[in-house]
Amino acid sequence: MKRLDDLSRAALRIPPSYIVLLVLLVTLWMMRPNLMNVAILGTFARQVVPLGIVVLGQLLVISSRSIDLSAGGVILFVNYLISSGLLYEWPILFVVLLCLSVGLSVGLLNGLLVGKRRASAVIVTLAVNIILIGLVEYLANGKPPGDVPDQFRQLYNLRFGTLPAPVIFWFVLAGVMSGFLGRTVFGRFVWSIGSNPISAHFSGVPVERTVVLAHTISGLMSAVAALVQTSSIAVGSVRFGPELVMNSIAATILGGVVFGRPAQVWGPFVGVLCFALLFVVMTTMGVQEPGKLIAQGLIILLAAIFYGVRSKSNS
Amino acid sequence: MTVQPLVQMTSISKTFGGIAALENVDFQLLPGSVHALMGENGAGKSTLMKILAGVIQPDGGMIRKNGQIVRFVSPREALDAGVSTVFQEHSLLPNLSIAENMYLGKEPVTKFGVTDTAWMERKAKEILSELGLKLDPATLVGNLSIAERQFVEIARGISARADVVILDEPTAALNAADVEVLNAQILALTKQQKAVVYISHRMEEIFKICDTITVLKDGRNVDCVPVSAIRPKQLIAMMVGRELSELFPPRSNRTEGEVVLSIEGLRLTPDATPSSIMLRRGEIVALAGLEGQGQRELVRSLVGQYTPHGGKVAVRGREFAFPLSGELGIREMQALGLGFVPEDRKLEGLFLDLSLAHNLTIGLHSRHFELKPASAHREVIANSMKSLSIKASRPSLPVNALSGGNQQKVLLGRYLALGADILIIEEPTRGVDVGAKAEIYKLLRDYANAGGSVVVLSRETLELIGLCDRLYVIHDKHVVTEMPAESATEHAILEAALHS
Amino acid sequence: MKRPYIVEVKTTEMSQLGRLFVGANSRHGLWTVPLLVALACSLALAFSTNEFVSSQNILNLVAQAAPLILVSIGQMIVILVRGLDLSVGSVVSLTTGILSLNAPVYVAVPGVMLAAVVIGLLNGITVTTFRVHPIIATLSMMGIVQGITMFVRPSAGGSVPSEILFLVSGKLFGIYMPVIWVIAAILVAWKVVHGSRFGLHLFAIGGGETAATFGIAERRNVLAAYVLSSCFAAAAGIFLAGRIVSGDPNIGTQYAVDSITAVALGGTQLAGGVGSLHGTVIGCALLAVIANGMNLLNVSAFIQTIVKGLILLAVISLQPRKTIGL
Repeated sequence: MKRLDDLSRAALRIPPSYIVLLVLLVTLWMMRPNLMNVAILGTFARQVVPLGIVVLGQLLVISSRSIDLSAGGVILFVNYLISSGLLYEWPILFVVLLCLSVGLSVGLLNGLLVGKRRASAVIVTLAVNIILIGLVEYLANGKPPGDVPDQFRQLYNLRFGTLPAPVIFWFVLAGVMSGFLGRTVFGRFVWSIGSNPISAHFSGVPVERTVVLAHTISGLMSAVAALVQTSSIAVGSVRFGPELVMNSIAATILGGVVFGRPAQVWGPFVGVLCFALLFVVMTTMGVQEPGKLIAQGLIILLAAIFYGVRSKSNS
Repeated sequence: MTVQPLVQMTSISKTFGGIAALENVDFQLLPGSVHALMGENGAGKSTLMKILAGVIQPDGGMIRKNGQIVRFVSPREALDAGVSTVFQEHSLLPNLSIAENMYLGKEPVTKFGVTDTAWMERKAKEILSELGLKLDPATLVGNLSIAERQFVEIARGISARADVVILDEPTAALNAADVEVLNAQILALTKQQKAVVYISHRMEEIFKICDTITVLKDGRNVDCVPVSAIRPKQLIAMMVGRELSELFPPRSNRTEGEVVLSIEGLRLTPDATPSSIMLRRGEIVALAGLEGQGQRELVRSLVGQYTPHGGKVAVRGREFAFPLSGELGIREMQALGLGFVPEDRKLEGLFLDLSLAHNLTIGLHSRHFELKPASAHREVIANSMKSLSIKASRPSLPVNALSGGNQQKVLLGRYLALGADILIIEEPTRGVDVGAKAEIYKLLRDYANAGGSVVVLSRETLELIGLCDRLYVIHDKHVVTEMPAESATEHAILEAALHS
Repeated sequence: MKRPYIVEVKTTEMSQLGRLFVGANSRHGLWTVPLLVALACSLALAFSTNEFVSSQNILNLVAQAAPLILVSIGQMIVILVRGLDLSVGSVVSLTTGILSLNAPVYVAVPGVMLAAVVIGLLNGITVTTFRVHPIIATLSMMGIVQGITMFVRPSAGGSVPSEILFLVSGKLFGIYMPVIWVIAAILVAWKVVHGSRFGLHLFAIGGGETAATFGIAERRNVLAAYVLSSCFAAAAGIFLAGRIVSGDPNIGTQYAVDSITAVALGGTQLAGGVGSLHGTVIGCALLAVIANGMNLLNVSAFIQTIVKGLILLAVISLQPRKTIGL
């Protein structure tokens, strides 16, 4: 009986994303067996790399009982910086560093307002998001955006063997984040706050500082995601839907990281892969954009209900 | 001829997690009487009254109200049946007015379906003035003083036409003038043949306004006597009298160590008497006294979790003025080697879903900068598990899989691993079985013998007497006396507290 | 749930200055300051432009503010019970989408309201029964409803029943319809929020956890709050459909953030239990005056977005809270 209990407990600790991925793979294999090869799946995965990188930040923030809805604005802003033509003359390394520091500062601002001012994270990051979007729209002033320097495009299309370079980059970044969470004091702090912020405070964890840092890293990740996103579309854009942020939350929750649960990287990582496959499966089934939105919404809702019910039965 | 009792509780029993809080307790309340319910911390007074008020349900026994068998499943039902309770934790909503609070859930409406605020305020005003209070019923409760809130709670009971009013420590937050007002109200109630249950730790009040006393001890009836037939000394003797068990390790023959912690002139409330406390190296000091007299506030002031009004503290020579920063207090103190072990290990102490190893080492980690690699601290974990004899199959086990005793040891272990040489512990053995209790006592004594210093507060006076070297008795938000534990008795502590 | 022992901050506690403005006896929040700001802005605009006080512009102003007022009232009701509704914007869009399907008005309008009730109920059940955080629950609902909207109306277009057209641009007893909408919404909302037992219970639930022990059906009331929020959003959708005479899947997008801004601006505390209808209406009016003024002064629409964001940020970081995070 006790063993059965342990077993069911262990089963519940498996992130839902693993199971969903398995189901999706089987579905795809039955529907389109010819798609099941590394090169094609790699190309699918490449499309979700920006999402995957945003999720790496989002999981930190969500696990610290906060949320970051400003990724869309950061991506738009970075995209503008690169494609507007203002920086075409500058060396590419400088451009990249500038973009990263934009993300870092936005994240820091979010973090200070959420952590130190204790303002509601949803509203702070929403407000920062619309400010960034407004700023880009104002700066672009209706002009069609320009092109993205070629180097970005070349990097994006690079492949190592059959795997696209962005996918490998994402995987490495996830590994770094996983190591960072697992091996540093910061990771312990995030786990602690995720588990119980009051206990964290009483054990001497600097709660405010940790939340600020989590937001800062999340902002940085948004900027990295923006670089990949910009390379992939090769032109500037004035509009990004809210899907990316929605999806980042969905993938994080699907990956087993919800408010009040310890952060881990690979669950959400697989959650993002689920989204990649989900798009493919839905496209092959002829489901359009609206259907995808509904599916994402349902996934977040069901995953959240699943955790809600579970935490209730546990306590 | 006999008067029919308003309330008759017979053979009430209640267990919490296998521990009996009440066993076959009888309680009877006559109309027009002010009935004191006395007993030590944990004697079962509050549990008995919570059952009468419908907050918790008894496991066994029967309640009759006016001769009829009743069963209250919610405070609302009890209130509708005429049992009104003024609990220590206030149940008024701060953003509603006095009148709205009094009629919440049964507001009258005008013929347009609008809440009849005018009617509520008129009625509320009548009841308030019946109690001799000049409060505007439209005032938000959030703007009232604690004493005024208490009066409003009483008024709410009366507005519900209650004939039984339970007052749980009503005077704890009141000053002398307010106590007079309250006494007048109680008198008014009894004149209307209503009954009042009065729980208080102030002896002189009991003898002044009550007419009957029921004494409980360890969840059982001791006696029920008229006030006129008993003297304070006898009453205290009835309340105490448990045996000191063999659980406690012997005290060592200490030489006087240097002072490691001293608090001076600490005032917990603006008008509280200042308190001073000091702690020597190698010593275990207790904050004893009846529950809710300010022990928690005192220790929490030390780590910035309570905002006192003036005073200073010196930790190993470093001086701080109160109040300390809420955000940094814990960290500053930990850096000075002072560990604070919070009472509620589930809500404030442990990370239940995280591993034992994490729970043990998080204190060590929090001393470092975020980007530093987190060392595994395998030795620390192994040593802690061994020296604290934590029974767990492996360090990666989540702590909610452990027993209460082992959880408590993990919590203690976190601060011991920090190398803290001053420990402030709230309720070291709450919800812990007897075997683990003895282990924890021994641990603390060994820790003190090795040069550590401990401040303990606990609801269980016996535990403090057995465990500690020296006791401070806290009453009414200040230290009333200090005594060596060797010669302390429950009786002496209670007397010191009650006769201050 | 038991609360940890940390010294409580009273929800109604405000600064001395705040007391001066509102009077100590209020759970309506700090609404006098935005009122003064709105008046000051109006005054400045009246002097700096010729058009501001024209009847045409004032009618425009009311028509611009009307949908926001409707959505914000619903948003405020949810915020009073410590919730948040991010799905209101997509409900607005869905409503215009359904109305533009060429169905007769006596089918379309009940259909719209039914959809709103269902969405509100689902939000409420997710929050109360399944204890999902309101933000997550309504965020996912936002996605689902947006998806449905794009099924119903993939891009802007279609035509709306002529009755609805009249409801928005006609006149009744010589009064322009938008004015009637606003007055009707305020009257209904006043009855619900400040003039009924239900309203008082909303405040009680927002005020603390002890409310439940005093005979207030917390779950049912919270459910009703979410349903009301959706219904008010649907009403805003009907109004907007009448104004643009078609359906638009993206017309509502801005309303989630705007309504939260307006509510917070009006002195309602996001922690629940403190707020007011008049504050919310003033918040909406202030936003509308700012937008209108910037239009008159030829400020780019994009700058307006930025200003809106900055206002929201300022308002929100001035509301003190205890918890960190969401």
